[in-house]
Amino acid sequence: MSESIGLTARHSAPAGHAAAGRPLLELRDLDTDIALRRGTVHALDGISLDVAPGQTLGVVGESGSGKTMTALSIMGLLPPGGRVTGGQILFEGRDLRSLPTDEVRRIRGVRMGMVFQDPLTSLNPTIRIGAQVAEPLRVHKRVGRAEARDRAIEILRRVGMPRPERIVDNYPHELSGGMRQRVAIAMALVCSPSLLIADEPTTALDVTTQRQILELIDDLREEFGMAVILVTHDLGVIAGRADRVAVMYAGRVVETAATEQLFHAPRHRYTEALMRALPESAIRDSGGHDRLISIPGLPPDLSGPLTGCRFAARCSYVSDDCRTTDPSLTPGAHQHACLHPVPTPAGAVTGPVPARVEPAAEPARVEPAAAPARVEPAAAPVTAAPAEVTELPVLSVQNLVKNYPVHGRGLLRRTAGQVSAVADVSFAVRPGETFGLVGESGCGKSTVGRLSVGLERPSAGQIVLDGTDLTDLTGRERRRMHRQVQLMFQDSYAAMNPRMRVDAILAEPLEIQKVGDSSARQARIATLLDQVGLSRRALERYPHEFSGGQLQRIGLARSLALHPRLIVGDEPVSALDVSIQAQVLNLMRDLQRELGLAYIFISHDLSVVDYMADRIGVMYLGKLVEIGPAREVVRAARHPYTQALVDAVPSITPDRAATRDGTTIRGELPSALDPPTGCRFRTRCPRAADICTTEPPLAGGLHQVACHLPLRPEPTGTPTQVQAVG
Amino acid sequence: MARYLIARLGQALIVIVLVTVIAFLILHLLPGGAARATLGKEATLEQLAAFNHEMGYDRPLIQQYGMYVQRLLQGDLGYSYQLNQSVLEAIEQRLPKTMVLSLLSTLLAVVLAIPLGVLQAIRRNRWPDYAITALSLLAYATPIFFLGLMMIIVFSQVWPILPPEAPQGFTVAELLADPAGLVLPTATLAIVTIAVYARYVRSSMIDNLNENYVRTARSKGLSERRVVLRHTLRNGLFPVITLLGMYLPALFSGALVVESLFNFPGMGQLFWQAALKRDFPILLGVTVIISIATVVGALVADLLYAAVDPRVRLRGSAT
Repeated sequence: MSESIGLTARHSAPAGHAAAGRPLLELRDLDTDIALRRGTVHALDGISLDVAPGQTLGVVGESGSGKTMTALSIMGLLPPGGRVTGGQILFEGRDLRSLPTDEVRRIRGVRMGMVFQDPLTSLNPTIRIGAQVAEPLRVHKRVGRAEARDRAIEILRRVGMPRPERIVDNYPHELSGGMRQRVAIAMALVCSPSLLIADEPTTALDVTTQRQILELIDDLREEFGMAVILVTHDLGVIAGRADRVAVMYAGRVVETAATEQLFHAPRHRYTEALMRALPESAIRDSGGHDRLISIPGLPPDLSGPLTGCRFAARCSYVSDDCRTTDPSLTPGAHQHACLHPVPTPAGAVTGPVPARVEPAAEPARVEPAAAPARVEPAAAPVTAAPAEVTELPVLSVQNLVKNYPVHGRGLLRRTAGQVSAVADVSFAVRPGETFGLVGESGCGKSTVGRLSVGLERPSAGQIVLDGTDLTDLTGRERRRMHRQVQLMFQDSYAAMNPRMRVDAILAEPLEIQKVGDSSARQARIATLLDQVGLSRRALERYPHEFSGGQLQRIGLARSLALHPRLIVGDEPVSALDVSIQAQVLNLMRDLQRELGLAYIFISHDLSVVDYMADRIGVMYLGKLVEIGPAREVVRAARHPYTQALVDAVPSITPDRAATRDGTTIRGELPSALDPPTGCRFRTRCPRAADICTTEPPLAGGLHQVACHLPLRPEPTGTPTQVQAVG
Repeated sequence: MARYLIARLGQALIVIVLVTVIAFLILHLLPGGAARATLGKEATLEQLAAFNHEMGYDRPLIQQYGMYVQRLLQGDLGYSYQLNQSVLEAIEQRLPKTMVLSLLSTLLAVVLAIPLGVLQAIRRNRWPDYAITALSLLAYATPIFFLGLMMIIVFSQVWPILPPEAPQGFTVAELLADPAGLVLPTATLAIVTIAVYARYVRSSMIDNLNENYVRTARSKGLSERRVVLRHTLRNGLFPVITLLGMYLPALFSGALVVESLFNFPGMGQLFWQAALKRDFPILLGVTVIISIATVVGALVADLLYAAVDPRVRLRGSAT
């Protein structure tokens, strides 16, 4: 592209490059192609970015936006078929594309470091931690074995690894995900690089661990004086950490600005839409919830030729010139590539569109202001005792326990112990209500979901469906009852038979339950498709032909087939991009209102649960530690664990992102094989006292907490009725 | 570890018992019978009856099996009247020689297949990969007897540099004293094995080269050589270990053909001749030994696996 300009820039670069003002890394018109069997995908198109020494650049975008490809292009680690086809990668003033391979490899090993997304697969399973961490030293700096070991211990200690002198001799599988990510960071930093690239470093981790890792990267950046490129899909992660942000869409940088400026006043319509699609943007401080503003459609296919703005097809502010003119980044500190940018808050209206108008496509679908299902929690049907008598819960679980036996050694496989997955959990879900279940991995939330749907049988406790206690029923009757409860999966693709067409997938539950004749079933399937907003053409296609969001719609249609009263969604939107997530969440709420559905919404993502749920239950290591109206649980948490979860959720709102000194939990989740006695959280609780060795009961009125030393008393004025009906 | 071994040996015992039952039933349901085979065509019905009575062949099958197992437990595999030798002795003479043949060919196969498979993986979908794939498929599809015959024709007739017959030595030492004679049988047996192993190494290496940990290794700026040899090879060879264990019995079936072809005095030849002559005690004895070898092969593979893969911990419940 602008090869000549780039070359001049390089030749005129001052010899003493470290001079202030010169960026550490400059990308100039970078193009990257990936050759696949079906054609060549132009993954990156003219990417230009600067990173100054010691600066953190956040690169944010949805899947397929090219953010990871940018990182991999810099590192020279493109997947098979991937190739940088144009532009320059100027690192410390030298173009990595024109240097000899060995030199580039040395730079990669010594001056740059990279941390990848999945810590579970990013380390070599058969090499000891110490050897892996010290390998760059041994290879690039010819450090001896003994010294390398000492240096590895030192750097592991620096990244907060407990007992590093023992860890060096361990293998990766002996460490938890968070610890492995610390190892990966140590490995990237062992040669003291001047640039660290972190590609979704915390996406695979729990929020409390995510927080620890992000803070670690921040601290190390200051200590080492290195620059960081933080690649993520999560706007909240960027908001709290980066100096500058680049927003990517469909292989291009569409907007770049200082972080505060970008979040305060985004200019590109895509950036704006992305922020508005976040559940946290739709939660009003008054307690109400707005409908999420979703971005319709899908990103364009990058293998074909594209003209005009790549976001045009999904943009609510699109005009004819958007489809023909290819917008380029505006000059200046706050760059954007949008023909009709969001007006600056100063009031200087630059575009033809008035400030903060609702997108054209949306108003038609905005529901009446007082949607019946979404009333103020205090006014929900839960409030008064008489209401509870008349309205029986759809599902009520009482003292639910699930233990998984762990088999011992020897021929007889005696049961050596048990994993306490769910321990004495009780809650009720009322018709038309959404009950959110949050907690980190291993807390037992999915097991509760599986027990509720009848996929597994509890070790003890009752499951009462529609007033019928399932414990007393025979297998067949129980399965009949369970028709009323259906499951929606996180990974709908994995949950569908890849060799069945969508019509067969949707007809199957009807056939198994012998509902209606063939034509009645066809009619039902057609209705289902309409309900989830898919065209009839979907019927003749196979699961692999759909995108993630569409698959979730099909999954939802399948779970609706038998007219259930309750749908258990196990992380139903966790695998989706923000814009698609908003579409699915909106759909779930529309259907809830139309069909009077109740949901159990299981998620690790507190902000999504906050948006969706009327009431929230928080689980920790098999126990329900707090349960209450969603708003209160999130904004006035009573359990220290809930507070820690709330504080750990990254947010794009500056004041919320700023509360860094809130409750932080340290350490690792104890084993469910041998959970702590008394309060299970006490081993990690900052407030733990002697009394915590006895088990705290779940106590309170509407907002119950299982803690001897709750953070705050239950707000007065709520009825003091104790147990949910069952 | 000890517990694991005990558990595995228990399982092995069950497998071996089942094998003897099945082999015993099959052999005794075959028409003809041992008496006719031993005494020849001239024997009278009375002679046959007398022989059967003496050997216990006229008793109920279950009783015969009971007697067989009883003797087996005392280390008595029976007596072959046709060889005029105890079965144990016959096997003792030949088993070491077959083991020499198997070990040599396996060693040759492993030594050649690993570099070939690795080369294919790092040159994936380029000409070295295609060439080796084509040759592998050819080798794999060729029946072993045909391959052996071709070897003999080419290397001892058209171009007579190697003897067509294996050394006829009585002991292993004598066998090894004539290495030229071992070349053709070993190579024949190895060629098919190379093809199989190379395919496994290739696909396993390709899988591993696409793993995230390899990307991490590259991000450290390591040379491609180090990425492949230090990081990928070890993980890529795990399937070969399983294969080694599983392939031990397959190697024996190959030996059956190769030994007959090259007149190699091993277990395969013993079995083949016994089958022709309906020498039941030998057939049963060899079957039991092979079943033991199969079970031991699998066990050794598991132990090896545990030794090289730190993630594998042997527990009693493993199967």
